[in-house]
Amino acid sequence: MTTTPRQQSSELVRQLDPDFRAVKPKNPLQRFFSKTGTWILVLDIALIILFGFMSEDFVFWSQTNVEALMINGTEALLLALGLAMLLGAGTFDLSVGSNLVLSSVLGGLTIKAITGVPDVHGNYAHLGIAIALGVLVCVGSGVIYGLCNGILVAYFEINSLIATLGTMGIGTGLALVITGGGDVTGIPEQLQSGFGVASLFFIPYPALVAILAAIVLWAVLRFTRYGVRTLAIGSERTSAERAGINVKRHLTSLAALAGGLAGFAGFVDIARYGSTSQAGHVQDPLVAITAVVIGGTLIEGGKVSVIGAVWGTALAVVLQTGLIIVGAQSFYQLIVVGVVLIIAVGLDSYRMRRSRD
Amino acid sequence: MSEQLRSSAHKQIGGQRPAHIAIAGLHIAKRFGHVQALTDANVTVHFGEVVALFGDNGAGKSTFLKTLIGMIKPDAGEFIVNDRPVSFSNIRDAQQAGVECVHQDLALAPDLSVVDNMFLGNEKLRRGFLGKLGALDRKEMTERADQALRELSIKLPSLKIEVSALSGGQKQALAVARAVMWGHTAILMDEPTAALGARQSAIVCDLMRTVAERGLGVLVVSHDLPRVLKVADRVTILWRGSTALEAFASELTIPEVVATMVGSGRDNIA
Repeated sequence: MTTTPRQQSSELVRQLDPDFRAVKPKNPLQRFFSKTGTWILVLDIALIILFGFMSEDFVFWSQTNVEALMINGTEALLLALGLAMLLGAGTFDLSVGSNLVLSSVLGGLTIKAITGVPDVHGNYAHLGIAIALGVLVCVGSGVIYGLCNGILVAYFEINSLIATLGTMGIGTGLALVITGGGDVTGIPEQLQSGFGVASLFFIPYPALVAILAAIVLWAVLRFTRYGVRTLAIGSERTSAERAGINVKRHLTSLAALAGGLAGFAGFVDIARYGSTSQAGHVQDPLVAITAVVIGGTLIEGGKVSVIGAVWGTALAVVLQTGLIIVGAQSFYQLIVVGVVLIIAVGLDSYRMRRSRD
Repeated sequence: MSEQLRSSAHKQIGGQRPAHIAIAGLHIAKRFGHVQALTDANVTVHFGEVVALFGDNGAGKSTFLKTLIGMIKPDAGEFIVNDRPVSFSNIRDAQQAGVECVHQDLALAPDLSVVDNMFLGNEKLRRGFLGKLGALDRKEMTERADQALRELSIKLPSLKIEVSALSGGQKQALAVARAVMWGHTAILMDEPTAALGARQSAIVCDLMRTVAERGLGVLVVSHDLPRVLKVADRVTILWRGSTALEAFASELTIPEVVATMVGSGRDNIA
């Protein structure tokens, strides 16, 4: 092998200067396109364009549909965000769906208990207080649910898949026992008109909350001690322990956070439909995990892409709505999301292997 | 025997000022079920010197090291850090006394950046409101990490790079730098050259010297006899859970070390 004089001189610089720390920096655009989430965003945009042109009168691009897309994605995104944080620390939560349901049942019953039956004009008593307490109960029960998960996983050292599989059954069962098997209905419609389906600048209120949550969690992971420690635990738990981090307490707090997000998703659920929907959330945890992993979050922990989770959630929602609008069976959505999941994760591990060589 | 050890512990190094003890474990004993891992383990490290802890597999080196940093509570014995008797109940206590350990697995988080690893567990927060929210002061962290690495002449491609992208030697150097940054009394190293090539091992041995010259006590557990014997000031050899020999490194040859490690001539007594 021959070396050019230029290479030789740079080699010399390296030897002479102890502070020579050359690394070829990737330009921002290169970095942007090296991320899985970016490609999912590209896919999202392509699908939105495609469905727009395929739909009658471009109805896919209409304000109503865009708002519907966002509201459909809200609950999924809230669950996905919680799971992204947990996966970052290397643990799971299969119970987010039943957490959502149990929280929505408790919140719905609280609201109904305070407002009572409406007067002849359809007005409820103490509506404001009822709704405020409803949010509190939903989020609170979600946090407590999460805390139980966290304590089982962190302190009793039960594998998180198993522990939350167990609490998933317990939560679902509890919700059904409380309601006697039915759904909580007759929740004041003002909750729907005032929050559930209301919008600010074309963005539904619930979606605004979810977007805000995504921004906050992104900042937490990137700029705070809590975020660094979360990723450290997921990256190498024993290292985090040896660095003096209280790993058990941290894992419990993460589970409570994911639980709180699921609880708020439960509130969104009753705010949208005016009733609970116990049967509608069986798949939720799997959908959320899929969205998170498609977006580039490592299932092994240590790496989280919050923005990728947003694009991953969007993919499922865009596909589902888009297929219906163009007149295809929405079942294809399941197939496409499954294929994308495998391709995305496959490409990730291929890239990782190549970069190690 | 014990008086002898104590006096050797306080021995002057190279005829200079009386040396102060950075870290010492005296008459440490530890039993795990039926296994007497340590019976009478002794080691003393003064400020500014490198002490090598040798021993055959199963001699109790790792257990001994763990007792020194509070990871294992011994059944008997006493510890001295910075000339004062201490008793650590966990690794955090040891860290607060300025004793840091470079574990064999390095205890790094591969997905985090070099800077974040340097400050893992000791993160520096911003001043004011954002700091109260837990926001990191990455600017200062980066500056301090950079300075710490420069002081040890450690070259890394970037401080923002993920640790998983570093070579084995760079990771080892990073773990040492982190220990030096937080340790102000003694640095303990468990098999620091075990996973490294020849050139990288030499660099790490240089690092040990650099750290000792900065005034810290360095205790290194190793199987790499030739290299570590060259860099160490003194040598302590464990045999079946007891200190079999404490001597100046310059007075020892490798065959002598090996003979003591395997307990030649002692089997009959035992």
